[in-house]
Amino acid sequence: MSISIDAIRESFISAVGYLPQTLALVLIPLLLGIVLGTLVAFARVYKIPVLSQFFSCFIPVYQGIPIVVALLIYQLVYLMKCDDVLKFFHSSKTIADIDNIVVGLFALSLMMLCNVSEIMRGALLSIDKGQNEAAYAVGLSTVQAIRRIMIPQIIPVAIPTMVNSTVGLIKATSIVYAVGIAEVLSGALVPASRRYTFFEGYLAAAFLYWMLTIAVEMAYQFAEKKSGSFRR
Amino acid sequence: MGDLFNFGRFLHNIPILFPYLIENVKILFYATLFGVLLGLLVAAVRMKKPPVLYQLITVYISFMRGTPMLVQLMLIYYGLPLVIDPLFGWNIGRTWEPSIFAYATFVLNQGAFLSSIFISAIEAIPKGQSEAAYSVGLTGLQGFYRIIAPQAVRIALPPFGTDFIGVLHNASLVYVVGVVDLVGRAKAIGSATGHVLEAYLFVAAIFVLCSLAVRIWFGALSKKLDYRNRGEAE
Repeated sequence: MSISIDAIRESFISAVGYLPQTLALVLIPLLLGIVLGTLVAFARVYKIPVLSQFFSCFIPVYQGIPIVVALLIYQLVYLMKCDDVLKFFHSSKTIADIDNIVVGLFALSLMMLCNVSEIMRGALLSIDKGQNEAAYAVGLSTVQAIRRIMIPQIIPVAIPTMVNSTVGLIKATSIVYAVGIAEVLSGALVPASRRYTFFEGYLAAAFLYWMLTIAVEMAYQFAEKKSGSFRR
Repeated sequence: MGDLFNFGRFLHNIPILFPYLIENVKILFYATLFGVLLGLLVAAVRMKKPPVLYQLITVYISFMRGTPMLVQLMLIYYGLPLVIDPLFGWNIGRTWEPSIFAYATFVLNQGAFLSSIFISAIEAIPKGQSEAAYSVGLTGLQGFYRIIAPQAVRIALPPFGTDFIGVLHNASLVYVVGVVDLVGRAKAIGSATGHVLEAYLFVAAIFVLCSLAVRIWFGALSKKLDYRNRGEAE
């Protein structure tokens, strides 16, 4: 049994260099997911026609597709059709000018949209219906009721499940490596493939992901304490 | 390049791909069967809190929760030979099927995730129930099997279903260690014929159908086990 500490360190340093890509793959889908997912959840709970029917079909179906299969499909369509789309918009750019990270961002954002909308819908449904009626009774409009009554209450309800979803997102960013997008895992494997120290490379990547998820859990604990303060 | 999707090729791929679903089902089966056993053991350790072992288990669970499945698969794939080969003088990196490494990873992973589900289900049962079991003369184990466990199973069922679908999805990653499952076979079709979109779409459709079926099945199961509200509903 021979594990080279030196190789782990080298892989770790190389992986940290790719941290910006991984953080982009986490933060952008997370932000898009929270904003769009919450809108979708409201659309479904308030039963906006067409939109609510569409999403109540689309979300369970899309959640049935493993992220790796979705990524492989998007990657394929991107490789085959990107040039055609650019030509359609009369752009002088070609596929070589576009970073393939957009494929990962798209797949992960769509995944987060579905996950967050389910979480927010559950949180919205957990709020007593009487609260909405009480808000109308004191003369608030629907938008005011959502902003002042509903949103402050769904945040603390949603946070514990959002932790799992965000940790799931961080772990899913490693899968974009399978379609050749540069991020932490591929960064850790750069020295590994040169020195043939794959075990050490994956170990270094594992430590980095582990630290990221622990940091996310701590951040959410802090947010939970802050946002739930009105309850005490 | 022009024709990305051809319905004839899609139909042609179905009989080729379908048999490889068994590889995903096998992973699901082993992960669930041995994962439940390991999960129960881990849950017992986490509730009884024996010194040393408890701390080790805490680190193990944190690691399994905090690192991606892809990385865990690769760590087992490259790491298990490093541990076992010198110990027993075998050469498992060459001789074992890649699927064995996949099974090992999924069992270890499920042991961690299922133990959390089991613990939260057991802790959801009011403490008074086990005290009542003691007071009528049941031993600790009897009380667990006859009073606590039947109720805990009902509580654990919905998160177990979610976890089950998660394993089904994660099992699509095993192609990276060389297991020929649905995705692995679809990729092979791609490199043989140059047309792969149809194969991927069929794989996606299979996963969607399986996930929906599992979801409906678990929904029906938890309704059936919900003996408390059964009388009122009708």
